[in-house]
This record gives sequence, C-alpha cells and structure tokens, in this order.
Amino acid sequence: MLDTEAIRKAAQEAAAQIAGRPIKADQKLVSSGLIDSLSVLRLISLLEKKLTISIPPETLQPEDFDDVDTMVETIERVAKPLP
Amino acid sequence: MAFNSSPYLILLIVAVAVYWLLPVGARRIFVFLASLAFYASWGIVFVWLPLFVAVIVYACGKQMQAEPGSGKRWAWLGITCLLALLAIFKYRGFLWGNLAMLTGWPEASSRFLAASFAFPMGISFYTFEAIGYLIDVRQGRVKMPPFLDLCLFFFFWPNILSGPMVRARELVPQLGFHKAFEARFIFEGADRVIWGLVQKTVIANVLGVWVDRGFAPGLHSRPSTLDGWFLAIAFGLQIYFDFAGYTNMAIGTARLLGVTLPENFRQPYHAATPPEFWARWHMTLSRWIRDYLFFPINAKWQGAPLPLYLSLMGVMGLVGLWHGAGWTFILWGLMHGTYLVLYRMYEAWRNLRPGVAETRAIAAVWRVGTLGAVLAAWVVFRATDLSQAGRVLSVMFYRFAVGSNYPALFYAYTVVIAVVCAVEPVVLKRLGEIEERAEAEGLSPFRVMARPIAYLFGLLLFLLFDVNNAQFIYSQF
Repeated sequence: MLDTEAIRKAAQEAAAQIAGRPIKADQKLVSSGLIDSLSVLRLISLLEKKLTISIPPETLQPEDFDDVDTMVETIERVAKPLP
Repeated sequence: MAFNSSPYLILLIVAVAVYWLLPVGARRIFVFLASLAFYASWGIVFVWLPLFVAVIVYACGKQMQAEPGSGKRWAWLGITCLLALLAIFKYRGFLWGNLAMLTGWPEASSRFLAASFAFPMGISFYTFEAIGYLIDVRQGRVKMPPFLDLCLFFFFWPNILSGPMVRARELVPQLGFHKAFEARFIFEGADRVIWGLVQKTVIANVLGVWVDRGFAPGLHSRPSTLDGWFLAIAFGLQIYFDFAGYTNMAIGTARLLGVTLPENFRQPYHAATPPEFWARWHMTLSRWIRDYLFFPINAKWQGAPLPLYLSLMGVMGLVGLWHGAGWTFILWGLMHGTYLVLYRMYEAWRNLRPGVAETRAIAAVWRVGTLGAVLAAWVVFRATDLSQAGRVLSVMFYRFAVGSNYPALFYAYTVVIAVVCAVEPVVLKRLGEIEERAEAEGLSPFRVMARPIAYLFGLLLFLLFDVNNAQFIYSQF
C-alpha cells in the first residue's frame, strides 16, 4: 500500500520536473494551460517510475492530474503496484 | 429566435425577472419550459430531437450503472445511436453525394436527400455533449441525474445552439437553481450580453459584408495579393468576433440566472504556437477532443511519435468534419493537423538537443508563422469550394498581383479591428484593475453611472448596426 505523503511528494516533484518550474500544491496545471495533454502522459510515466506503480491511463482524463491533490486522489484510485 | 435580435433581448429581460421572482422550487420547470420555447422558435418539428438524445443517454446510462460488467457495450450502443443521428441529420447529403460520385449514381439524388429536411440547430453541440456524458458515466465520473435534469442539461437555452460545450459535472449540479439573488449576477451577465451584441453587430456583421463579396459563390476572378490577405484577415476577425460574441451572450445569459458556463476563448490570435492556438480557440471543443479522443488514443501508445502524428491528423480531420459537411472543412482541419504535427516534430527535435536554446528569433518565427498559417486555413474554411480557396491562397503566397478592389473603408476598418484584437489583453487587464479599484473604493458616482452609460451606448450601437440581421456563423454547425 502506498503512503499518501510519499505520493504527494512524488507528485509535486514530477509536476515541477514536467512544468520546468516549482509547483505549489494547489496550482492548476492542465486547466490553466501550464502543461498540455502530452505532458500529462510524460507526467504519468514519471510517476510510474518514481513510485514503482502502473497507472492505466485509458480511462483517465488529463484533468485527473490537474493539481497535486487530484493527482494523489487519482493514483490512490487507479494505480497498481508493480511486482 | 436569434440572440442578436430585439425580441430576444426583450424576452430575456422578462424571463430573468420572472426567474428571480419565482420560488426556488419552481425555477427548474420555468427554465425547462423557457428552453423548450426558445428551441421551438427555431423550428418546432425538431424539439423531439434533444429529447430523444436525452432518452438515449438516460437509457444507456442507467443500464451502465445497473450492469457495470456490460457498461462498455451500453456505452458503445449509445454512442453509435448518437453518431447515427448526427449522420442522418447533418451528413446525409455529403455522404450520399460522395457515394454517388464514386459509384456514378445521379448527383441529383444527393441534393434531394440533403434538402429533404432542414438542419436541426445545435445538433453537433448537444450530440457531442451526450457522447461525453456517456463516457463520463462509463468512467464513473458522474451519476445519472433525474430525467428532467438530463433534459434540461441538453435543452438549457443559453448554450443549446452553439455551446459552450459543457460537461455534465459542470452544469448538472447548477440545475437546481438554488442560488439566492445577487446583484453581481445581473451586472456580470449584462456586461457579457451587451459586449457580445457589440462584437456581433458592430464588428462581425460589418466585416461580413465585405467578406461575403470576396467569397461570393460563383466568383471565379482572382483577387489581388493585397485583397487576398485582407480578406483572410477580415474573415479571421469576423469569425472570432462572431463566435466570441455569441459565446459572450450565452455565458452572459446563463450568468443572469446565476449559472456559470465555461469560457470558450482566450485571445486566440495571441497564440505563440499551433497547440497554443487550440488551447485558446473554441476551448470547450478542444477540451472535448482532448479528453475523449486524443488523450485515450495517445495514452494507449504512450505518446509514441508515429501514432501521435497520425492521431493529430485524424482528430483534426474530424474536427473539420464536425464543423461542416464539406471538403473545405475537412481540408481546414487537416491543415491544422499538419501545423500541429510540424510543431510536435520541432519539439521532438529540440528535446533531443537540450543545449540548443530557443532564441527570440525562433519564438518570433513560430508566433508569426502560427498567425499566418491560421489565416491561410481560414481562407479554406470560408471559401465556397476548393478551387476558390486555391485562387485566394495562390495570390497570398506565390502568384502575386497588384491592385485593390474594395472601398478604402474596408482596409481601414479591418486594420482598426485588428488593432482592437491586438490590444484586447491589455484592455481587459486594465478594465479588471479599474473594477478592483472601484470595488475597494465602494460606491462612487463614477461606479454608479459607468455601467448604465456603457449599456446604453452598447444597445445604441446594436440598434444602429443591426441592419444585416445576420445569423451567427457557428449556428450553422
């Protein structure tokens, strides 16, 4: 089981890496136009590496990664740990 | 009944007054009946269509919730029915015409088929909203509301004709109409309605008279290079102020009822790259395409280059087809697809060379190139047929010809409106600052008088310029 704080930390780091600048926890990434849908795919891939998880993105939408809290919620809902 | 008509404005004032006087429990029925009456004013025979769309979504959505194991099947059944409706009501003539061309069947049959019944207003918008709704239910994002709420979601008169294209989770929670009256709803709504009227009548309709002349059906002469460029710029401005004007009126109408609709434009001609243009132009359609088509396709392929480029072309071709049943619209979409592919290729090339900095010159080339490319695509969008589009594009880019065949007022007006478009972000920022300062200062004579004077001036302009009685361009899609 993943620790929520660990997910939050990884989400904030990954978002900052993709956006190329520090990100506040409540900062909107997709709906504000800061990152586009292709960057969300890169963000998902980065989160999978950082947390050693698998995120099946087919049933997700970019705004499921709109801010750090939403990312944590999405990961807790859909992610599967990798063996 | 068009938004840009005096009867609509009078009825809007009456409807808003009645709405706020009614008890909360009666507002939903009132808005539903007003929405039915509004849609029926465009043709009573098609009132059943949004209702039928609601029945499809309700039936399939309920089944998806009852049998989660077969949810995918119900979602596909619903989506297929909705696409079939769209094909029958919007694309039958186009599909039959192309089939007739390929098979040698008489072409007259396609014209007869196309003219056999009229085009139901708003069908492209509410069928796409319905498809989005089904996908959201399938993904567990929304629950099925009561049937009346679902009908109201599709019929809601501020946005049934041409959007903004809303998601269920944005609008359905607001359809209880529980908000208590606040004066700011009226100010915010009236600001948008009157500015939308001015954009439509004073800017879009005036430019439209000259643009119609330049793209008249059967016009075979080649314009001069100057006229070709001015026609492209004038149409780019006309369609922006026409659609943004409509959107402002739709958002403003909803705001008068205390409802918030999503924004559709963010100064699109200030985009620095082709993807940024689509993040600023018709934002609710771009969001739909991104969420329900582009993202799932590319998630499957993890953003690999070839599927990315193919999906960009395919998706933008569909965006073109969504706008209209004609090859000019499809070509317009494919042109935008090409711009997006070229930018993604450049981005991939740059990512492989982290040491190469993006200079101001390169950024400027992308900015100017994006604007030029968007204008070139508008020529194809507006042209009556592909040969007319080819003639205008040829004089713009390589078959240069001197001359000017329009009154001086056309060139001057186009330049003035282009300047308005260029300074729009600065003006909006400044207006926001003035509003904030005025709020901080409390009531002042300026603040009390500014709005009524601005409204009267806007309405006066509307009455003076409303001679063309032109439809909104996007109401044809």
